[in-house]
Amino acid sequence: MSHTPVAPSRGAPARRRPALERLGPLPWIGPAVLLIVLVVLWPVYEMVHTSFLRISSSGFVRGSAGLDKYRKLFAETDLGHVLTATVVWTLVVVTLTMVLSLALAQLFNQEFPGRRLTRWALIAPWAASVLMTAIGFKWMLNQTAGVLNTALTDLGLIDGPKDWLGNPNTAWPWMMVVAVFVSLPFTTYTLLAGLQTVPGEVYEAARVDGASTWQTYRKITLPLLRPAFLVGVVINLINVFNSFPIIWGMTQGGPASATATTTVFMYQLKDTDIGESAAMSVVNFALVVVMVLVFLKVSRWNEDES
Amino acid sequence: MNKRVLGMAAVCAVGALTLSACGSSGGGSGSSASGPVTLKLVAADYGDKASNSSTLYWNDLAKAFEAANPTIKVDVQVINWNDIDKQVKTMIQSGNMPDVLQTGGYADKVADNLLYPASDVLSTSTAGSFIDSFAKAGQVGGTQYGIPFVSSARAFFYNKTIFAQAGIAAPPQTWADVAADAALIKAKVPGVTPYALPLGPEEAQGESMIWELGNGGGPTDSSGQYALNSQADIDTFSWLKSNLVAPGLTYPNPATTDRKTAFADFAAGKAAMLNGHPSLIQMSTDGKVDYGVAPIPGKAGALKSTLGVADWMMAFKKNGHKDQIKAFLDFAYSEQNTLKFDETYNLMPVTQDTLQAMTSSGKHQDLQPFFALLPQAAFYPLGDTTWDTVSAQIKQSIGTAVSGDPAKVLGDLQKKAQDAVANK
Repeated sequence: MSHTPVAPSRGAPARRRPALERLGPLPWIGPAVLLIVLVVLWPVYEMVHTSFLRISSSGFVRGSAGLDKYRKLFAETDLGHVLTATVVWTLVVVTLTMVLSLALAQLFNQEFPGRRLTRWALIAPWAASVLMTAIGFKWMLNQTAGVLNTALTDLGLIDGPKDWLGNPNTAWPWMMVVAVFVSLPFTTYTLLAGLQTVPGEVYEAARVDGASTWQTYRKITLPLLRPAFLVGVVINLINVFNSFPIIWGMTQGGPASATATTTVFMYQLKDTDIGESAAMSVVNFALVVVMVLVFLKVSRWNEDES
Repeated sequence: MNKRVLGMAAVCAVGALTLSACGSSGGGSGSSASGPVTLKLVAADYGDKASNSSTLYWNDLAKAFEAANPTIKVDVQVINWNDIDKQVKTMIQSGNMPDVLQTGGYADKVADNLLYPASDVLSTSTAGSFIDSFAKAGQVGGTQYGIPFVSSARAFFYNKTIFAQAGIAAPPQTWADVAADAALIKAKVPGVTPYALPLGPEEAQGESMIWELGNGGGPTDSSGQYALNSQADIDTFSWLKSNLVAPGLTYPNPATTDRKTAFADFAAGKAAMLNGHPSLIQMSTDGKVDYGVAPIPGKAGALKSTLGVADWMMAFKKNGHKDQIKAFLDFAYSEQNTLKFDETYNLMPVTQDTLQAMTSSGKHQDLQPFFALLPQAAFYPLGDTTWDTVSAQIKQSIGTAVSGDPAKVLGDLQKKAQDAVANK
């Protein structure tokens, strides 16, 4: 059904020239449009459609559910703390990532021996699969065999091995550490690229005018870094909000859903009710869209002010 | 016009490739009147490597069956446990259903009216050969649909070496014994988890039902309605919370500890007691753990009826191969064949003749304590078509009952279970 609108453009190249010309740019943008329809619009349609269906556990559609699945979702006792956790998780991870990346980018922008090597090393957490990193940390934190537990105990920082990931109070900070760790490379490189576009003459002028280092950074570097910084924030917001592998790999959102964000919660609901899980997906989708729109709006407003 | 149709077809083909569901052609192996009928058998793989894969067993069985029944061909497809649920779902949704399926559960298929009743596809002698408790567990609303295939039961495992170090002479009989023994072990054998309580999402429904049975509770009441927050169940979790979890006699966070962790700890000599099933025998032997098996302790005394688990065979109506399926199942359930399967994988039988043969052959000393438990096994409410959903909810959150408020956690679960029943 969703194929129909694009069908003419597919059939078009086979026609004769006049017809082809009448179509204008359609044959050229057709493949891209088709791709977008297939991998973006169609899944979105299916997701929304599914959230209004009653589906049996073996996958049969039992008819329309109306708004029932949404009602059920909003009646979940866990939803409140999951939403709060998602907001805290996103804010903390993105803020820490941006702050640390600013410092790292500044560092890597300096000339120092071994810079090339350390720049490469920074790619490592990015190059490794996120799920692999998460599972690696899970085992390093394992109570009986974890190397981090042993190290912390030997250093006298803790009394004995702890089950870090079993308790939400300690699991959250550790997962945030991992999330920041895997977000740093991309953000740092984005900011580094931004730093390198700042022309040297501007700094020279600042020096001539007698600006202090801090003043130079605040008045020159940061404003000129703005485009790169915004890209970094938006992409991180989306990535961290949607972050599934870190949490699933380390705690599966458990105990119960005490360490779940909305994305993980959606996956947990999948086991009991596909329709409700789809409703959660729709809410998630809306949240991401709203979050990004709000952010862009706010940042553009700032630009007008200055 | 023609080209347009072609274009449409091309788009549809691309769609079908990308989405693997264009969903027009159903049916698949439709039965033609003449010529041999092909039965599609889908089964789970019980082996852990190529050399002991269940494919070998089913291929041999299919060959022998085809030799005896020249008009029926059997198409064998063995799928590993991780993927079988997903693949079967895909088969069902695309209309390409198996004729015979052997897997972990059956009730969801009954809910969608896909299965033959067992009486349609089993001869009277085969139907009568099952151990009663198992045949009953295959019923939905009084009609048997699930045909038990292999079984397993839970028993209490303890590490004899650790017990000796702690100066404990006999395995515990009651909950109070468990707590007292665990305290002794904690004091005298440091570094060992006295009782391994796995209430993590892997199989919390099993461990919790075993403890609930010990207090006369369970997931359902005597009429078969869900009673997840019955007083007996709440008391069970309150007891666990204050007598095992709070004093540190088990894992610090049972709600996130999975069964495989508990089994691995026991097999490594790092846990002193747990509820296990027969696969733990091999693991313990491999780990050189001197283990003992005893009846599961209950609140007042050892349990008479333990938790039984079965895997199931079922026959799909879609292709209309009733008679051929009947012939095949009669063949597959002969004592010779079931005995071979059970012995290959050290599993427990579901038919009386095979149970008899395994008990008396003397080759299965290690399984002996389990044979006695089988006829009295208690089951999950498998025949309830909402059980899959309810079980998934239990797995997810019942573990938090030993850290939070048991009445509230179980109350929430009961509410969700009632919702599931209402929306069935």
